[in-house]
Amino acid sequence: MSYEMQTAWGLSIAIYLFLGGLGAAVMGVVVITDMFRISNREHPTLVVWGAISSIIFLAVGSGMLFIHLLDHLAVLNVLNPLVLFTKPDAWIAWGTQFIIWMMVWGFFYACPYLRSAKGTRDMPLVGNGAKECGPVCKLMGLCQKYHRLIGWLTIINAVGTVAYTGLLLQSFPAVALWHNPGLPMLFMVSAFSTALAFILLLQYLVIKEPDQDLRRLFERIDLGLVGLEIALVFFFVNYMLSGSESGLRSVEYLWNSWGWLLGFIGFGLIVPLMLEVGAVSGKLRGHLPVVVAAVLVLIGGFLLRHYTLMAGVYEYPW
Amino acid sequence: MTHYAMVIDLNTCTGCNACMAACAVENQTPVWADKWRTRVHDQEKGNDIANVARTFFPRLCNHCDIPACMTVCPTGATYKMDNGIVRIDDALCMGCQACVLACPYDVRYAVEYEDIHTAKEFYNEDVMKRSRPGVDKCDFCHDRVALGKQPACAATCTADARIFGDLDDPNDRVTRIVRSGKATPLLAHLGTRPNVYYINEHRQEEQP
Repeated sequence: MSYEMQTAWGLSIAIYLFLGGLGAAVMGVVVITDMFRISNREHPTLVVWGAISSIIFLAVGSGMLFIHLLDHLAVLNVLNPLVLFTKPDAWIAWGTQFIIWMMVWGFFYACPYLRSAKGTRDMPLVGNGAKECGPVCKLMGLCQKYHRLIGWLTIINAVGTVAYTGLLLQSFPAVALWHNPGLPMLFMVSAFSTALAFILLLQYLVIKEPDQDLRRLFERIDLGLVGLEIALVFFFVNYMLSGSESGLRSVEYLWNSWGWLLGFIGFGLIVPLMLEVGAVSGKLRGHLPVVVAAVLVLIGGFLLRHYTLMAGVYEYPW
Repeated sequence: MTHYAMVIDLNTCTGCNACMAACAVENQTPVWADKWRTRVHDQEKGNDIANVARTFFPRLCNHCDIPACMTVCPTGATYKMDNGIVRIDDALCMGCQACVLACPYDVRYAVEYEDIHTAKEFYNEDVMKRSRPGVDKCDFCHDRVALGKQPACAATCTADARIFGDLDDPNDRVTRIVRSGKATPLLAHLGTRPNVYYINEHRQEEQP
């Protein structure tokens, strides 16, 4: 028997998985927050900034995958939506379509808010100036008319994208670390946790609206998600410690990686958990603890994808 | 129907690597970058001079009945022919390399733009079977097989270590060996149902 770590997918794919999960979860959270009138009101600024950030994340992430491809022209074969009929069993086919349509529907959902959102309302063409511009105005009207339908389409594609990042790795049968039901769940929890962290950064540093009730809600949910993530990581380690040599070797690799232990577990989960507990309980006051925790959660989210990819161990019978 | 398979006898492989050379020339693989469709691992077993043995382990695509590489392929580039051969359509493959990770047998490799350019000089452009980058792997020399020939590796094997045949033909040598239980597939527990079977080596040594 010989044991080898995978080398086919490196940093660019880790960035793709991270930004894919983060971007999709940001879009999902802001649309849900607005559609269901959390805090009993609309959230145009949050939706616009969240959607713009999400589309940038998804575009950069997809760009990383594109760079990684061996034949860039052949990417057209997976951009065609009909690929879902010819390859319904391939998660990359689903993921590509989820990403594309999430960006499209997310953009349309944010469209009507461009005129009222802080930061875009004074812009020419898309802001208040759009009133004088026929086609843009008609598009915004159309999006407003079907806002709820567009919102649902955005949410479905966003959740699909988040789930896809874990399902993709789960479909590789030879690696115990990936081929188990827990991985998509861990990636989903991590994606929504990083998304809430990013949205909190937006709220505290960019939007700066009087939305304390919403911030408190996001802080509480993120605290729960970080706690759940710690539990899932523990379950993972416990699962891999016995049952297969591949899993055991993955744990050994992770256990001996400072980036995993200190970076992800320490500064990416435990420290943010403590900071968020302090902020939610009122023992730590001001913006700083939440902002620091959010930055650490984002770094931890990336490290999770990076080390999960790196630690894939194959067991070969030669 | 035809169901192609291969039996590899680990007792007779001499490690001459003629199979690797024949495959490389037949399929123009980027050997200068250490990329091969088939490999022969040269292994040393034993922990002292009285007990040491040199063994060889040939390997190639297992042409699984349930190929994980085909499932994950997002463009449909990897497909299974009616005769059981798993192939890659170079025109469809975008080279995401998900199949490389999905394959439990480490038999797929990336062909890059640079490999294509070098191959044109190394092998002569007129005989090149591929013109685009993408993922490559063994296809049991499907074009030779279609002409009634053996795959290049089996045809050139001097030790009869690679036996190619049709599992749907009850009189085929491969079928008889597989049905006898002497040959077993690799990593069968993964559920890929591979079609390359191995006759394990029997140590030729004195019993204590």
